[in-house]
Amino acid sequence: MAARKISIVESAGSSAPRRDEPANPALWVCGLLQAGDSFFPTGSYAHSYGLEGLVQEGVVRDRATLRDFIFLSALPALGHAELPLAAHAWRAFGAPDWTEIGELCVLSSALRSTREARMASENIGRQRAELAANLRDSALAREFLRRSTEHHWPGATAVSAALEGRVLGAPLPAILAGVSYASLASLLSAAMKLLRLGQNGAQSLLTEALATAPKFIAAAEQIPRNEIGWFNPWLDIAAARHETADSRMFIS
Amino acid sequence: MTGSLSLSAGADGRGANFSGHLTLRAAPRPDGRTILAAQSFRAPYHLSKPYWDATSRVLLVQVVNPTAGILEGDRLESAITIDAAAALLVTTPSASRVFKMKGGAAECRQHFSVARDGWLEVMPEPLVPHRGSSYRQVTTVDVAAGGSLYFVDQLTAGRIGHGEAWGWEKLCLELDVCVGGERVLRERLDQSGAGLKALAAWAGSGPAACFANAILISPDAATEPKPAWRFEVAALHREGLWVGVSALRAGGWSLKIVSPDAVRLRQALRDVRTILARSFPRLSCDPRKL
Repeated sequence: MAARKISIVESAGSSAPRRDEPANPALWVCGLLQAGDSFFPTGSYAHSYGLEGLVQEGVVRDRATLRDFIFLSALPALGHAELPLAAHAWRAFGAPDWTEIGELCVLSSALRSTREARMASENIGRQRAELAANLRDSALAREFLRRSTEHHWPGATAVSAALEGRVLGAPLPAILAGVSYASLASLLSAAMKLLRLGQNGAQSLLTEALATAPKFIAAAEQIPRNEIGWFNPWLDIAAARHETADSRMFIS
Repeated sequence: MTGSLSLSAGADGRGANFSGHLTLRAAPRPDGRTILAAQSFRAPYHLSKPYWDATSRVLLVQVVNPTAGILEGDRLESAITIDAAAALLVTTPSASRVFKMKGGAAECRQHFSVARDGWLEVMPEPLVPHRGSSYRQVTTVDVAAGGSLYFVDQLTAGRIGHGEAWGWEKLCLELDVCVGGERVLRERLDQSGAGLKALAAWAGSGPAACFANAILISPDAATEPKPAWRFEVAALHREGLWVGVSALRAGGWSLKIVSPDAVRLRQALRDVRTILARSFPRLSCDPRKL
């Protein structure tokens, strides 16, 4: 009964909109900006998402090789894994279909064959879900956390982003845009610490990458669950080697 | 990437597509030796006579194929089941060629299932996708708690000797691994030849880069967080040869190798197997014994 009630009304006293009412765009835009900001305490600033390993291997050395990495690897991974996961989770939270949500959490973890990449997503995902529950007094987020604990679902950044979006009443394309921005901005922020790359250089790359977002977001929304997944063997190997590196700046 | 037991589904010049199947069940005899308790196959699949390796206590079988390779329209299915206390090594004698297609595609589905205390090694020769080929391979693995598996697959850039590389139209290789009923790995390589060529160039692996993807599932491997073999395998990493080892979310390990050519990849896989055999003695069975 509790789950059924959640599907109709988000929560009494919540700042989030009722499910059957369109959300005020100003509300969800501000919410997504907050969640995507480096000021938001998810711990994402401590991760390079495999980039430090690639720098240590000498593959990413400068702006040109970083740009190649973004367009050959980071964007395809977003478009074929993280964004479709978030899209499926967003739809699942609408009902909510807890079986599907649990399977998507496991899938998110299973898609990451290296420990550091997996732990980054699990820790950041869990933190984001807890923030959604605590900052927004969301019954949906609290129920998700309760079930996650009960069934040992691994944390998942994409699933938590979808949860945040549901709590805020944001439409799917906006949530996927937020995920895209946060992923690319985190990567480029790490790149500025690892390479001789200035603010303007990073922002120009971010601008160029985000310009392709409408296309890959639209495609990601259509990817069926059994076609989710993409990997770059060099990135996986670099990430695996980063686990035992003599020195490192980032957790992943 | 997924290694294929779907080798040679069709022959040059033949008229019909193949819809082949292979079903094997390995079980222990009362004296502990593994036998094939059930087997069923249809062309293009054929089995060699099994060989019992008394030292490693593993039954070795080769999936032999008398035809040239995988052609447009081929549909292949295989299912290999390992009963409790049985041990099987499945290999192939030659690479799997996926030939040029005219708008169609070929598909292979393979399922491996290992019971508690069972051992399965799957070590086929590499997949060689030719120019203009379109191929999908779906591999599912179910290992019961207490079961063990070493699965290796290899992918080459194409017919390097003919100056043909990264020319395939579509290549989709999927791998799902469950241990004790829980999904621990899902990998999906869905790349055009041009896409993977660009990645290989970016990483400096050259025009003939080859890949190997190995999965090690074992109760022993799962409980030790930093086994010595991990560092020995990782130490194979050197100029041009990329080697990475990382723990799966449960049950075992992922090992990945990228090599600038097939010869170095083959040697690296031999080295990895030699290192692992010290901790997993079933791997001392020589896959080339037949």
